[in-house]
Amino acid sequence: MTTTDLARERAAVRQGTFEALRRRPVVLGLIGLLALAAAVVAGIGLGSVFISPADTVAIVGRELLGWPVAETWSRAHETIVMELRLPRVLTALVVGLGLSVAGVTFQGLLRNPLADPYVLGTASGAALGAAIGVLIPLQIVWLGLGLVNILAFVGALTAIAIVYRVAGGGGRATMTSILLTGYAVGSMLAAGLSLAMYLSGSQLRQIFFYLLGSLSGADWQSLAVGLPVVAIGSLLIMLRARSINGLLLGDDTALHLGVDVRRERAILLALASLVTAAAVAMAGLIGFVGLVVPHVIRLLVGPNARLVLPLSALFGASFLIWADLGARVTGELPVGIITAVIGAPVFVLLLRRYRAGYQL
Amino acid sequence: MAAAAIMLAPLPWATGVSASDALFPLAVTDDEGTEVTIDAEPQRIISLSPANTEIAFALGAGDRLVGRTDWDDYPAEAAELTPVASFTGVNMEQVVALEPDLVLAAGNFFTPPDDIERMRELGYPVVVIYAPDVPAVMADIELIGSAIGAREEAAALTAKMATEFDAIGEAVAAIDARPRVFYPGGSEPEIFAPAPGSVVADMVTLAGGDPITTADAAAWAIPLEELIVADPEVIILGDANYGICPADVAARPGWEEMTAVVTGDVRAVDDVPVTRPGPRLTQGLASLARAIHPDLELPAFPPDAPLCEGAGA
Repeated sequence: MTTTDLARERAAVRQGTFEALRRRPVVLGLIGLLALAAAVVAGIGLGSVFISPADTVAIVGRELLGWPVAETWSRAHETIVMELRLPRVLTALVVGLGLSVAGVTFQGLLRNPLADPYVLGTASGAALGAAIGVLIPLQIVWLGLGLVNILAFVGALTAIAIVYRVAGGGGRATMTSILLTGYAVGSMLAAGLSLAMYLSGSQLRQIFFYLLGSLSGADWQSLAVGLPVVAIGSLLIMLRARSINGLLLGDDTALHLGVDVRRERAILLALASLVTAAAVAMAGLIGFVGLVVPHVIRLLVGPNARLVLPLSALFGASFLIWADLGARVTGELPVGIITAVIGAPVFVLLLRRYRAGYQL
Repeated sequence: MAAAAIMLAPLPWATGVSASDALFPLAVTDDEGTEVTIDAEPQRIISLSPANTEIAFALGAGDRLVGRTDWDDYPAEAAELTPVASFTGVNMEQVVALEPDLVLAAGNFFTPPDDIERMRELGYPVVVIYAPDVPAVMADIELIGSAIGAREEAAALTAKMATEFDAIGEAVAAIDARPRVFYPGGSEPEIFAPAPGSVVADMVTLAGGDPITTADAAAWAIPLEELIVADPEVIILGDANYGICPADVAARPGWEEMTAVVTGDVRAVDDVPVTRPGPRLTQGLASLARAIHPDLELPAFPPDAPLCEGAGA
C-alpha cells in the first residue's frame, strides 16, 4: 500500500459515507438508475393538472405496453400524459444525458474545470441561429422541427467549426489556443445575438425564453430527431473513454500511451459538439448541467472517464428531469434557473467536503 | 383638414353584417389568414387575451368561457375562470384539462406562436385575433361573434360602438384645435411611443389630436431629441396606471422645455380602455378626447375616475 493510498484511507474515515461511494461505482450506478426511474415516474405523475397515480400508470401501461386495462380516465388526461408529459420527461432525460456527457468530454479535452458544453462558441452560435430563426418570418417545418430549432443546431455546429478552423485545430494548435479562439468567436457571435435581440421588437420574448432554456415545447417529433443524435453521439464518446483518459494526462503523455492525439481530439470534439447542438436544438440553452454534473461525479468516483461518462449520463438525465419538474410546478419558471439554484449549492457543499484531492 | 376628412368619411365598419346563416359547422378565416373549422357552437371557450375575454362577455358568452390569461381583469366575473396563460406562455396541461372546443388566441406574438401551433396539433380550433388599427377591432368583434355563434349580438355591439365613435367624432370636429399629442406608454429605459398607424395613434387622431409617433411601424420607442423637436402641446400619460404623474414628467431632464410641460397640459388617463382592442374602446376614446380637450362635453359617457389626485390636471 503506497502512502497516497494510506492518505486516502484516512481521508475516507474522516469523510464518511460519501467517500465510501468512491470505491463502489457499481453501487453509485444502481443509485443513479433508481434516481432516474424515480425521476421519470415523478415527471410523468406530477404537473399543474392533478392526475391520480393509478390513472397515470394505467394510461402509460395501456398506450405503451398494451396492457388490457379499461379506459376509466378522460381523453384530456390521456392527452396530458401521452402528448405532453411523456415526451417532455424523455426530452429532459435525453438533453440532461447529452449535456453531461458533452461536459465531461469538453472538460477532459480542454483540461479545464470551467469548460462546459457551451465553451467553444456553441452557445452563442446556437443562440444567434435561434434568434435569426425567430426573426425570419417563415413557417418552415422539417422533420417536425421548426426553423428556430434547425438554425440553433446549425448555428452551434457552425460556431465550433469556425473555432476549430481559425485555431488551426487540425494542426499543432494547443487546446489553450482553441479555448481562447472559442472565447473570441463566441464574443463576436454574442454581439450578433445582441443586435438581433435589439432589432427583434415584439419577438424579443421568444428569443429571451430560448436563451433561458425550456422543455415546454417538447413533443414526440423533436424527440424522434434529437434522441438518435444524442444517443449515438454519447455512446461513441463512451467507447472512447480511454482516449479521454489519455488526453487528460497531457498531449505528450497521451502520445506516449499510444493515443493518436490529433485524430482523437478532432473526433471527440466533433461528437461532443454534435451532442451539444442536438440538446440545444431540443431545449434551448440550459446551463449548469453540463458543467456541474461531471464535477460532482468526479468528486464521487475520481477522474477515470470510463466511470465518469456513464455515471454523469445517468445523473445528468435524472437531474434535468427533476429540475424540469421543479420548473413545471412553479408555473413554468425557466429550467436553467432551477438547475443553477439546486445545482450550485450542492456543488459547493461537495467541494467543501472534498477540499483535498480533487483532480480533473 | 385631414383629420376632419377621416371623421366625415363613412366608417368602414358601419356596413351591415348578414346575421342570417349562423350555422355550424363553420369555417372562419382568422387574422393571420388561417382557415379554422368550428364543428359546433362552442361551449367551452378559452380566451388568451384580455380583449378577447371582454368581447366574449360583451357578446353574452361569458358563461361559455372556461379559461383566461393572468391579465384578464374585466369584467369582474372573468376572475372566476381558470388562468391558463401568463407571460411565460400557455400552460398546455391546463388547456388540455379544460377540454376547450374553441381557443381565442392573440396575434402579434402575444400568444407565443409555438403555443398556437401546439394547440392546433392537439386538435383544438384556434382563432388568432389581432387588430392593428381601430377598424380592425370592429372586424374582430364580428369575427369572434361568428366563431362563437353570436353574430347578431356582435352586429348590435359594433353598430352601437359605431354610433358612439360618430358621436365623439362630431363633438371633436366641433373643436378647431388639433394639438400635437404625445401619448407615452412608459419612459424607462426608453420612451415608448405609439407607432404610426397603430391603435393608439388612431385613437389619438379620432380623439382630436395630432399624434406624435415613432419613426416607423416597427419602432416602439422615440429618442428624446426627436420628442423635443416634435414639441408636444399635450402629453397624455398612458403610463399613469403604473405610477407616473404629471409632476414626474416635469422633473425629467429635457422635458421641461416642451410646450405641454410649460403650459401644464400633462394629463393622466386610464390606459386600459384606450389601448385594449375590445368593446370599451369607445369609453377609452371618450376619456382620451376629454384628456386632450379638457373643455369637451361628452355627457353620454360616464366621467373618468381621477388618476394622480392632486398632482396637476
